[in-house]
Amino acid sequence: MTTRSRLTIAAHVVFIVAFIGLWELASSHDLLDRTFFGRPSGIALFLWKGFVTDGKLWLELGYTLFGAAVSFLAGSIAAVSVGLLFMVVPRFHRAAEPYLTLLNAMPRIALAPLFLLWFGLGVGSKIAVGCSLTFFIVLSATVAGIRGANSDHTILSRALGASQRQVFFKVTLPSAVPVIFSGLRLGLIFALLGVVGAELIAAEHGLGQTLAYLQSTFSMDGVMGLLFLLALLGLGVTALMNRLERSLLAWQ
Amino acid sequence: MQNLAVPAVALERDNAPDAHAIELRDLTVRFGTGTGSVLAVDRVSFSLAPGEFVSLVGPSGCGKTTILNLLTGLLTDRPEGDVRVLGKSPSAGNPDIAYMLARDSLLPWRTALGNAVYGMEIRGVPRSKCEEQAMMLLQRVGLGDFADKYPKALSHGMRQRCALARTFALQSPVFLMDEPFGALDAQTKLQLEDVLMDLWSANKRTVVFVTHDLAEAVALSDRVIVMSARPGRIVADVRIELPRPRNVRALQKDTTFHKLYARLWSLLEQGMSSHDH
Ligand SMILES: Nc1ncnc2c1ncn2[C@@H]1O[C@H](COP(=O)(O)OP(=O)(O)OP(=O)(O)O)[C@@H](O)[C@H]1O
Ligand SMILES: [Mg+2]
Repeated sequence: MTTRSRLTIAAHVVFIVAFIGLWELASSHDLLDRTFFGRPSGIALFLWKGFVTDGKLWLELGYTLFGAAVSFLAGSIAAVSVGLLFMVVPRFHRAAEPYLTLLNAMPRIALAPLFLLWFGLGVGSKIAVGCSLTFFIVLSATVAGIRGANSDHTILSRALGASQRQVFFKVTLPSAVPVIFSGLRLGLIFALLGVVGAELIAAEHGLGQTLAYLQSTFSMDGVMGLLFLLALLGLGVTALMNRLERSLLAWQ
Repeated sequence: MQNLAVPAVALERDNAPDAHAIELRDLTVRFGTGTGSVLAVDRVSFSLAPGEFVSLVGPSGCGKTTILNLLTGLLTDRPEGDVRVLGKSPSAGNPDIAYMLARDSLLPWRTALGNAVYGMEIRGVPRSKCEEQAMMLLQRVGLGDFADKYPKALSHGMRQRCALARTFALQSPVFLMDEPFGALDAQTKLQLEDVLMDLWSANKRTVVFVTHDLAEAVALSDRVIVMSARPGRIVADVRIELPRPRNVRALQKDTTFHKLYARLWSLLEQGMSSHDH
């Protein structure tokens, strides 16, 4: 590590410690209303209790992660398949496009109450919300990726005598992979967002449900703690996808 | 020329051992129909003997790429006239032809070796043979140590070397090259021209080489065909009487080379102004 990067890290640590210290000090001297902002020691205590002493947060975290994972997998597999189908049957693409645009324009979170009615308070409704968000993002990335194939590569392949099938597997698909991948990365974030959003509205379990409950009982330490947790989760997911992308797409 | 009107002639030619590797007769290409149509190529005729290296020069938009696309069978519009490559009408994927584009068009997700085998792979050459052949060519073009590198890690010149390897790895007797060195700096260009000359002398294919660089055309070719501004017509067909094997860098100081270069320049200028006929 260079001295410069060590200095940067030290500066961040100083900033964070000062920020938390000020927050703690302000709330203990009643300069900052604890019922609105919580207080760092309370937040730490909440997380400690939730994950260590009684461990109840693990279950909620598990529900949320499971919902997000299923939404992501189902939504993106469906989206990539439909995207490939569009490419093989362009007429189907043209026919389906207006309906898809309409569906995509709908704010999916607003559909959550409907999904709750259809799929109940269990994991089904949040998966439906998460799926519907992921699907459209990954679908548009797949379509864009396939359209974006370099025409030089196609011309060269056709001049060499490549069949349509060969052009697809050797040129179109590999060149679409990076674009599809950035769609997948966004899709994973949105799967998490959809699931937490649905849980906030109504659910039996999950971090979103816990958040809504804590908010209604004015336990701000818990709300802040969960928000922090969700931010970490989002960060973790992005980091994971970046790692995967780097090892999978070494040629980029 | 109407194809219908010449069955006897065509038959005769098909039976005779064909002396020409490439033959164009009264080729006319028009893009689009009606008032908006563009006459790109106007009654162009020329032919290449097997193993001949011929450059095609002319102002931008005079139909050079169009002629190559036509020979490759990539042109969808039906042209007038008669075109033969080794006695056959053009068709896409003709294994007799190897095409090299101006941009290297390397597949970025394949290594240099992966790109060098690409042409053979598409043409169904067995994998082990592909790799052996491609590796040999990468060494010939000076990329032996970069076989496992992705194009992003290669310089412009190296990428074009790789494209050369991919093209020469094909066993096609006819090469069509569209400004393959157009995007390179002068130094790298001279280097690659020598690489091309080496590869070509070792295994003489019939080459149609499109370029904007007259010095390049003179240095490499047996003949240089000069075309006029659009609609493209042939202005001159100049034989380059320079001994082979040639060293492109040494030629830069040769007086015959410079004379030919000057002559081509004036022909090209005539072609540019012969717009109104
Ligand atoms: N697919 C097409 N549809 C319509 N017009 C075309 C098409 N392809 C080429 N043309 C026209 O035909 C003419 C010849 O084009 P071509 O690409 O063959 O020129 P060129 O000699 O290769 O030029 P350059 O040196 O700039 O590459 C141009 O005027 C171009 O606009
Ligand atoms: Mg051109």
